Amino acid sequence: MPPRLNVLSLARAIPYRPKGQAQWLSRPAARLAPTQTRTYSDAKDEDKVPAADRSKRIDAKPLGHVSEEASAMADITGGEGPDLSQGTPVQDIVRGDKKAEEKLPKVMKEQLKSNASSAPKGSRSYSTSTTPIGGGSGAFDMGLMSMTSPPAEAVAPGLKFEMPVLPLPKDGHLKHRYDPVVDQVTNLLMRHGMKSVAQRNMALILQQLRTASVPTINPQRPLLPGAPPPSHLPLNPVLYLTLAIDSVSPLLRIRNMKGAAGGGVALPIPVPLGQRQRRRTAIQWILGAASKRKTNTSGKTGYAQRVASEIISVIEGRSSVWDRRNMVHKAGISARANIVLPRKR
Amino acid sequence: MPPPTCLRSFSQLSLDSAARASMASRARAHAQMACFSTSAARYANPVSKKKGMAQTKKGNKTLNVKKGRNTVQDTGKRPAQGERKAARKRIVLTNDNALEVATLKDMTKADVLSEANQGRVLGIPEATVDALRAVEAFKTTQGWSLFRRPATLMRKETIELAKVMKAAEDDKKTLRRVLSGERLSGKSTLLLQGLSMAFVRQWIVINLPEAQDIINAHTEYAPLPDSQPTQYTQETYTASLLSQILKANNTAENPMLEKIKVTTSPALPLALPADATLKQLIELGIVNPEASWPVFVALWQELTQPGRPPIMLAVDGTAHMMKESDYLNAEVKPIHSFDLTIIRHFIDHLSGAKSLPNGGVILAATSQSNAPSTPALDFSVQVAEARQVDPSKTPRWNPYKNIDPRVMEALKDLHSPTAKEQLKPLDVIKVGGLSKDEARSIMEYYAESGMLRAKIDDGFVTEKWSLAGMGNIGELERASVRLRI
Repeated sequence: MPPRLNVLSLARAIPYRPKGQAQWLSRPAARLAPTQTRTYSDAKDEDKVPAADRSKRIDAKPLGHVSEEASAMADITGGEGPDLSQGTPVQDIVRGDKKAEEKLPKVMKEQLKSNASSAPKGSRSYSTSTTPIGGGSGAFDMGLMSMTSPPAEAVAPGLKFEMPVLPLPKDGHLKHRYDPVVDQVTNLLMRHGMKSVAQRNMALILQQLRTASVPTINPQRPLLPGAPPPSHLPLNPVLYLTLAIDSVSPLLRIRNMKGAAGGGVALPIPVPLGQRQRRRTAIQWILGAASKRKTNTSGKTGYAQRVASEIISVIEGRSSVWDRRNMVHKAGISARANIVLPRKR
Repeated sequence: MPPPTCLRSFSQLSLDSAARASMASRARAHAQMACFSTSAARYANPVSKKKGMAQTKKGNKTLNVKKGRNTVQDTGKRPAQGERKAARKRIVLTNDNALEVATLKDMTKADVLSEANQGRVLGIPEATVDALRAVEAFKTTQGWSLFRRPATLMRKETIELAKVMKAAEDDKKTLRRVLSGERLSGKSTLLLQGLSMAFVRQWIVINLPEAQDIINAHTEYAPLPDSQPTQYTQETYTASLLSQILKANNTAENPMLEKIKVTTSPALPLALPADATLKQLIELGIVNPEASWPVFVALWQELTQPGRPPIMLAVDGTAHMMKESDYLNAEVKPIHSFDLTIIRHFIDHLSGAKSLPNGGVILAATSQSNAPSTPALDFSVQVAEARQVDPSKTPRWNPYKNIDPRVMEALKDLHSPTAKEQLKPLDVIKVGGLSKDEARSIMEYYAESGMLRAKIDDGFVTEKWSLAGMGNIGELERASVRLRI
């Protein structure tokens, strides 16, 4: 529903007018009979209104009430104004006007306060995540399978084998047959070139994610927009992993330009990161935090368990990796003045 | 009084005692008396060094090369003794995140041995799961923790085993089978299926979960009196085996051991109450480990009386019992595994020296991941496998290998059988790869459980079947469910 009033058009304090509908409901049935005096808002005949100015001069006429003013404004701008048959709630009228809000009754002030605190504290007016190129559902591989078989291609004469079905499957290329995130994490898990060990650890991590209980999402630490509900995550461990990594991956890094500030002082300059670079940073943060955890079991599964529990804590918003990301973003904001853009010609 | 003052006043006393006035000498005499006492100095508290004072001069820096001086000491709670191992060995049989498979049916007593089950995935009933847990049939390496509840695929080899069990049950035969096959081909799982079918059919089940645990000299042993040549009993192991037998075979639904009364009069070192049940007999052995072996012998004697249920006797990791054990005898020579009473008991039944009058099956599963080299067993299995393919082409013994004559003698029926029956008393069940239909069936179960996100069509099944080395089920599970690249 669009806001009932164009708030920007109001430049003055507005007298209080009760909520129309509430008044209607509280009215006893006996008052259905026409009354002697009518309120201003529903006056049909302008002349009957006692306070109506009957002067002919336009500049001497009083302004209409706020709803009328807003609807007139909407008429001019071509938008949809408030419904004049109903009253306008006073909260709508005074929204954004600090002076008027101070004069509200205590009940409404408290309501305003509670509404303001319900929004997540860390939320910003600007986005702290990137929008993937292509948009839409291209953000995540939800692992959905199409159960319908692809339409049969017309048989082209002269072909030895059938035409390939387009688009080609994602795992069709030999060198890119595995999920890119799983591949990247496996390579970053690898130590001393022991890839098979890294692959085993990766499989154990995914198995842990699959058997762990459904995570509870912390509203203070929002995951990427478009994320599936948490109950879907354990059944799709690759998505679970991807979501954790992409949610904490920083947008930028700080590059210290030596001597750029003069006098041998380095100048911090924020540099945007590509998707693979952002993931790499996040994975390394997660692996670092996991290796600081305490081992709960003996045997080969210990490291994988620690990494898996760190990933779960990232999703649940408990991990220290989130603070790290915020610190980088804060530093980026304070250093953004140092960016020198090429001058336009 | 400190010593220098004391000495000084002593010398003064000798020098000018005559020259002193009486007043002064009296005062000095008082001091002299205190001077000769050493008790005050003796009982004084030792002078403590001032804290915070550096040994070296101020401003001097000494080199401290102690390791980890700057690292933060971890003051957190350490895991309790055995806690980490328990976490490693824990058997998890359920995954709450997995989906319930609506079409999954349980094994039932009526049709668990029927051939119509081939290629179906059947759930294991809850009571049987408890019993299997009691006999330690589940392994940590198996994938039970991924699914909602335990279920197994009735593959070709399972049906073969079911036929053997049916024949043993109907004709009261003693049939013996050695399970062989490649690594990850499902030998231990086939053993588990055999055990669960036996539990469902209400057999008596005795399972030695791992042969290595019997021979690796981790439990105490003692020579068995009046045995020639000397045999050795393992009291603690036998007592725990008895408790496993009791827990697995005496469930709430089928309190078999409570119902059967002791009919023979066993010679036991401890008195058994009159009119005792088998449960009481076993409990006697559990409580008194020193009597556990006589109790086991008495139990076996009871179970082989006419009219008792068939018996399933099984062992995993057979190769460990086909060699000399880690125990030493009085001459500090290794004891052969066959001289340990429990293993002797098993081998007597596997070789056919003793039979089960009520019928039953002896199962011995081999292992490819944890097996010592046992040329005699390997050769016997190879010959039996080759004979199943073509009886005229059997491998010959390699004379350069060390032969263990006792093992060769025990497995005589395997490498040079005399019986000409269709269903041989001792044979090998070679656990091979799944067929594509079986692979499809198990993969559909994976997909229905939500553990495999793929459309199960012919192309996909063939791809995974080939990747798994022509349907090796362990590799198939790795490739499809475990996400092991």
